Amino acid sequence: MNTSHRKAQLMNDLSGYAFISPWLIGFLAFSIIPILFSLYYSFCDYDILAKPIFNGLVNFKAMFSDDLFWKSLQVTFYYAFVSVPARLLFAFAVAMLFNRGARIIRLYQMVYYLPSIVGGSIAIAVMWRRLFMSDGAVNAVLGALGIHTTISWIGKPETAIWTLIILAVWQFGSSMLIFLAGLKQIPQTYYEAADIDGAGSFMKFTKITVPQLTPVIFFNLVMQLISGFTVFTQAFVVSGGMGDPLNSTLVYALYLYQRAFKYFDMGYSSAMAWVLVLIIGLFTAVIFKSSSSWVYYESKEGK
Amino acid sequence: MKGIKTVFLFLLCALMLVPTLVLAQGAVEETGESYMRLAWWGNPTRDERTIKVVNMYMEQHPNVKIETETTGWAGYWDKMNTQAAAGSLPDLMQHDYAYMLQWVGRNQLLDLTGYVDSGVIKLDKVAESALAGGRVNGKLYGINLGSNAVCLVYDPAVLATCGIAEPDSTTWTWADFERIATEVYQKTGVQTIPFFTTDPKVGFDNMVRQTGASTYAKTGKGLGFTDPTVLKEFFAIQLRLLKSGVLINPEIAFVTVTPEEGELAKGRTWVEFIWSNQLASTQSAAKRPLKMALLPKIANAKQPGTFLKPSMFFSIPATAENPKEAARFLNFFLNDIAANDILLGDRGVPVPSDVRAHMTEGASDINKTIFNFISLAANNSSAIDPPDPTNSGEFLKMFRDATQEILLGKISLDDGAVKVMAKGNEILKK
Repeated sequence: MNTSHRKAQLMNDLSGYAFISPWLIGFLAFSIIPILFSLYYSFCDYDILAKPIFNGLVNFKAMFSDDLFWKSLQVTFYYAFVSVPARLLFAFAVAMLFNRGARIIRLYQMVYYLPSIVGGSIAIAVMWRRLFMSDGAVNAVLGALGIHTTISWIGKPETAIWTLIILAVWQFGSSMLIFLAGLKQIPQTYYEAADIDGAGSFMKFTKITVPQLTPVIFFNLVMQLISGFTVFTQAFVVSGGMGDPLNSTLVYALYLYQRAFKYFDMGYSSAMAWVLVLIIGLFTAVIFKSSSSWVYYESKEGK
Repeated sequence: MKGIKTVFLFLLCALMLVPTLVLAQGAVEETGESYMRLAWWGNPTRDERTIKVVNMYMEQHPNVKIETETTGWAGYWDKMNTQAAAGSLPDLMQHDYAYMLQWVGRNQLLDLTGYVDSGVIKLDKVAESALAGGRVNGKLYGINLGSNAVCLVYDPAVLATCGIAEPDSTTWTWADFERIATEVYQKTGVQTIPFFTTDPKVGFDNMVRQTGASTYAKTGKGLGFTDPTVLKEFFAIQLRLLKSGVLINPEIAFVTVTPEEGELAKGRTWVEFIWSNQLASTQSAAKRPLKMALLPKIANAKQPGTFLKPSMFFSIPATAENPKEAARFLNFFLNDIAANDILLGDRGVPVPSDVRAHMTEGASDINKTIFNFISLAANNSSAIDPPDPTNSGEFLKMFRDATQEILLGKISLDDGAVKVMAKGNEILKK
């Protein structure tokens, strides 16, 4: 009885692996192995045309004295910690507005969701650059509203990063849909009970809606933070690949790319990549750790 | 038992398909066919013309199959470096003076001397000075596809409206330039664009070469100049023009744009700084005729600052699978009159003298302008400097950042110059 049971179990496992083998092979070949290589390169001096030369922690040490490294960290942190909350707040607010169920709302939902599908593309980023040039559409609209300005929003060191932040916030649609799904899942019974107890809409919002949505907020926060730290495409196109103007849009991934392909310093870039992994891991761990105190899971009721 | 058999059969089938697909990609077949890969960077015009030439060659040699790969300049070196790391470089690739030294140092390119001596690549009509750029330690690693020189283009109509005589490009000075720019602004409101916004070092380099020095030391391990006077003057001219409102706001000018989005196309500047082989695309974006001029002289210039740059080379990677065919195609590309009639000097003025003579006869207006300019530049130039050192990428970024800082007023002129020199030496000595 035991051996045939084990055999059946083995067959089960093997057939499972067989079915996912195409993905597994791809994952090993195109993800795991390059990641391991990158870890090795981070301890090397590698200019891509010659063989990598092992040099220990030199790359990591060099990072500490590299002004542009700290600048790129600062830019990325600023971008992430401004755009992520802004985006989530927007998404939340609009999801609340949409939680009415009227049919016409469907059209609006689609319209608001579109930017997040196309937003990561080069074409949108190119168009975005044109919008914010000194003779672009943004200044034209402001002019129509009576504010005459020729400020080159993407050319001014103080404002360039904001064009990227606005681009990120503009793509709030995907987060909004997730919030909307979460909102629809809140049992109406809670609201009815609150009405019976005479609670106002503010009380209902803070005591029912928000706590019920904390799992969704948690999910969105982690996902958006990760994508905020790893932003590249938009910064690359808007800044012309150089972190213009004056490195105010030099996000971490862009500097990593420059070091790899313009400075021919693959070892340093790999080291930067792993430092980013550590940073993101740290923040995600902090959020996860704190989640037990502020995220409410229905299924864990009574714990 | 049946289940496990089906699973393994399935896996076996999948594994069988993999090598078949790989082999189907093609290699040199035993059927007498010759296969090679060609890569270049370009733009739609160049791509179209190059593909026509490739097809022409394949028609003349039916047993040859050429596969082409092309990108824009921006992504080209990323791609080539990656292919170099993978050992999968094409058989013939376009190369640049800036990177040649580095690739030769890493043994990535083939010495073409053998092909030249055996007559596969005919260079009898090419002047040695045109080949010098492709030589490292006496060996030939790249064939110059065209000559190029730095220049500025200006709108003659604007000068005419202001009643300003067109400058004599061999004698005019930066003082003349400032005077003309200011007059144009006062009379028409048309401004002047900052010098070489994508790569300001090119403008500075031209000026410092006029003193007999150069941006980089001959060894590449430091700066090639010690006197900051010219460096300061490079920024000072622009600062003066900025103060009087003549210079376009750097916040607008330094934004990366396509020619169609640029200030010249929008009519907001009367001048633009380019390389000579960019005239066609610049003029078509500007939609009006432009004239070319050498960059002005500095005060007390000892020699011309301009030099003839090999615009680009064709090189054969050391790992090429079919170098013989690559060499044959290279020869065709370089010397064949009909092929050059299609290419129309898009990569620069052709180097073989007979091709150049033929091209000048039937050239379009734009090409005549370029060819004449190159002849002018040839008579008013000094020797080319050695290729950019390995850390030049970092240096160029630092120089550009410093230029923006100075022009935006974030740092004073003197502090900026000190910073450039200090950081420049630091970067280059690494």
